[in-house]
Amino acid sequence: MFDKIEIFQMAHAMARHAGSRHAVVAQNMANADTPGYKAQDISDFQTLMGRSAGDFQMRATRASHLNIMQNSGTPVVMDRPDAIADPNGNSVSLESEMMHGVSAKRQHDRALAIYRSSMTILRSSFSRR
Amino acid sequence: MSEFSNALDVSTSGLQAQSQRLRHLSENIANADTPGYRRKTIAFLTTMNGAETPGLVETGPVRTDQSDLARIYDPTHPMADESGNYEGSNVNLMIELADAREAQRSYEANLRMFEQSRQMGRSLFDLLRR
Repeated sequence: MFDKIEIFQMAHAMARHAGSRHAVVAQNMANADTPGYKAQDISDFQTLMGRSAGDFQMRATRASHLNIMQNSGTPVVMDRPDAIADPNGNSVSLESEMMHGVSAKRQHDRALAIYRSSMTILRSSFSRR
Repeated sequence: MSEFSNALDVSTSGLQAQSQRLRHLSENIANADTPGYRRKTIAFLTTMNGAETPGLVETGPVRTDQSDLARIYDPTHPMADESGNYEGSNVNLMIELADAREAQRSYEANLRMFEQSRQMGRSLFDLLRR
């Protein structure tokens, strides 16, 4: 029942995106000294969502319609474009990875806060008081 | 949730690799005065087994540095040759210490990521608690 409500869906997707981004950042961090390793990243939640929330997108109006937008939930891992490589070919910068990690964690916290407050609203509409 | 356990796995592999590197470094430093000792180096590799599993770090085989050993003049040394020189180690303490500092920095960064993933997982579980 809850997954039919848009805001829960959105918060769920946001938290999941933050989790996968954090995993990518952890992978970069672990490979900070591996020669030839390229720093990786996944696209922002905004760009992932903006792609599916535009007005001129295809819509699935029947269950039998193919909806490519529903399958685009998994973000694509790509090499980070702005990274500058060390002499040994490694392009991980610990400082920027730390920053991305913190931003992923903040995004996750934000998603959970949205989820929790919506849950509180829902719960207060159920209760008798 | 599997993303978090992936992140924890990766961070753990990073911690293991860095601590092994630190172990070899301290071995080098301890043997800085051993005659004929060649410094050991290890390389880091990324294991890529499939697209689903993350790139764990593992350490490659231990190699010895093949650069020239330092020739030290000391005629009283038992290993000295006719000219009075003997071969020391090729450990440069400055390099080893700088490397150790870098390993420590990476170790702490991995530890921080581990802690962060754990906090994220915990706050997710806190949703269930109320």
